[in-house]
Amino acid sequence: MQKIDKDKRDKALEILKSGSDSKLLTHLNACVRCGLCASSCMFYITHKEPKYIPATKVDMVSSIYRRYYTSMGKIAPSLVNAKDLDDKMAEEMVDLLFGACTMCGRCVKHCSIGVDIAYVVRKGREMLSEMGMVPATLQATVDAAVKTGNNMAIPTEEFVDTIKWMEDELKDEMGDENARIPLDETDKNILYTLNPREPKFFPLSISAIAKVFYAAGESWTISSKFYDVTNYGFFNGNKKEATIIARNLYDEIHKLRGKVLVLGECGHGTRANRWDGPNYLQISYDFDMTTAVELIADYIRQGKIKLDKSLNKELVTVHDPCNLVRNGGLLEEIRFVIKSAAENFTEMNPFGNENYCCGGGGGMLAMSEYNDRRIKIGEIKANQIRATGAKVIITPCHNCVDQLLQLNHTYKLGVKIKTIAELVADAIIIEK
Amino acid sequence: MYWYHWIAIISLIFSVALFSYQFTRLIILGRPKDLSVSSGSVTKGVAYSFTKAMSPVVKESAYLHMPTYAAGIIYHLGTFLSILLFLVLISGFSALIDSVSLLFSIFLFISFIAGCAILIKRIISKDLKSLSGLDDYISNVITTILQLMTAVYLLASGAEVFYYLAVTIFFIWLPLGKTRHLLYFFFARYHLGFFYGWRGTWPQKSE
Repeated sequence: MQKIDKDKRDKALEILKSGSDSKLLTHLNACVRCGLCASSCMFYITHKEPKYIPATKVDMVSSIYRRYYTSMGKIAPSLVNAKDLDDKMAEEMVDLLFGACTMCGRCVKHCSIGVDIAYVVRKGREMLSEMGMVPATLQATVDAAVKTGNNMAIPTEEFVDTIKWMEDELKDEMGDENARIPLDETDKNILYTLNPREPKFFPLSISAIAKVFYAAGESWTISSKFYDVTNYGFFNGNKKEATIIARNLYDEIHKLRGKVLVLGECGHGTRANRWDGPNYLQISYDFDMTTAVELIADYIRQGKIKLDKSLNKELVTVHDPCNLVRNGGLLEEIRFVIKSAAENFTEMNPFGNENYCCGGGGGMLAMSEYNDRRIKIGEIKANQIRATGAKVIITPCHNCVDQLLQLNHTYKLGVKIKTIAELVADAIIIEK
Repeated sequence: MYWYHWIAIISLIFSVALFSYQFTRLIILGRPKDLSVSSGSVTKGVAYSFTKAMSPVVKESAYLHMPTYAAGIIYHLGTFLSILLFLVLISGFSALIDSVSLLFSIFLFISFIAGCAILIKRIISKDLKSLSGLDDYISNVITTILQLMTAVYLLASGAEVFYYLAVTIFFIWLPLGKTRHLLYFFFARYHLGFFYGWRGTWPQKSE
């Protein structure tokens, strides 16, 4: 077992000091350990072990708070469930806060009190980060983003080649030599961002959004260096690294003099940029930010693109990414786009703000040490999908796509998984 | 007034003072300073958080656990009633409740049973036991005994000393144990409403 350095432990404890507002103090003091959150957590539902109850995770962090920051915790710790931050506790925190929580927030909504459990888990992760206890695989993903500008360390040359290849595909499909995927162009309306999984594994999703932009006559560009919408600094609990990564896009849109930063289809990337980015950088952004989903919805409403639903005949359902729907408010926009592009749509049960995480959130996809756990909890999602009878699963998040692909394979679902842009691109009518 | 009246009053003052300190601290720390651009309404989100979002039909912690939820509601009503009755009794207005004391007493016996049921569940449930520490048992026992003693005292004035001792212990523990959620509950609901309201999740547009 690793020994925690005293200085690092003191820095970790600093995280639990009151903070800049009353949120932290509130949530560290509000849980009554009723345990009713258990039935809302996919880790507990799957494993039925008490350690997976969300309140257990909250209590790990709040018991440390009580030990070091309350009079009763200092005088009579056992009376108020106050605990030391020692090696054993830290190891348990790593296992449960990193390896058994996707921070999906489903338990938060159902908590009898209203404790923001995911927020407390994030604070716990911040503590572990200060102590240098982030799982190596997750840290490697963050390191890659900090060092290279994208979390998969894709060399710029390789990225540019992929974009050029996709541009050729777009030209062929559109039958138009002027169809383009513009790189590093200045003074465009939109700076579009991607999840690095797109150029690496799913380049067709790039040509799909390019087709949408082509049809809408949009003025847009992608940066060849800083296009990564993801921010795993949001997951590893290291605010400094999260800030560096968030700054990449902030600086890039200024460098290219873009007007609107469009966040590609990525749940946590949207959250980390749209909701947390300005707070990481401690500045109000002087440009607009929107998501691919909202942008496409606007195109449809404004008649900038025309869709033929009959081109998507198969029964489709939607997997709601936690960070776009429950934690991002896009429930209605996602459905508006899907219903505009597909003839047959059905909901999962439950769906929307109630939806279960795919199991790949919270950085789980990057932490291979928890692969078995991740696939096992994903059975809930697999069963949800199977029950719909849908042949196509739509999800506006590439992390979710990855997890769903693995669930599709493991649980033999026999479905296709698409992003919103891919669905819309299949329904789009190009008017010549 | 006798010594047991005084210690009950002193414990009440202790409780109010500690809660006032905690309340002031929370107010001074203030609301989140979010620099992102909101896509919803914090006011509507907070209002929703305290109303519709609390409905048992939208919370799994309620509708999947109806017996526990019902026991919890009764138990909390019993706690608030006990506090209210103490304030009435210590203020010398006991005549005000004479005519309904039997009804109150019956209700408090029921809430006492609810408290016992919650305690027993904590003891026999493997999951809850694993989650629990001394605070959980102490908080439950002190609050449950308060309700029992209030019910008894309303019917039998001979229990006066024991009643005021139960009140004293209750008020001393209230801001120290997990019972302090009496204050933090409201702030937690506020922050939840702020979070979801800011992002346009609450109130849900399609509801």
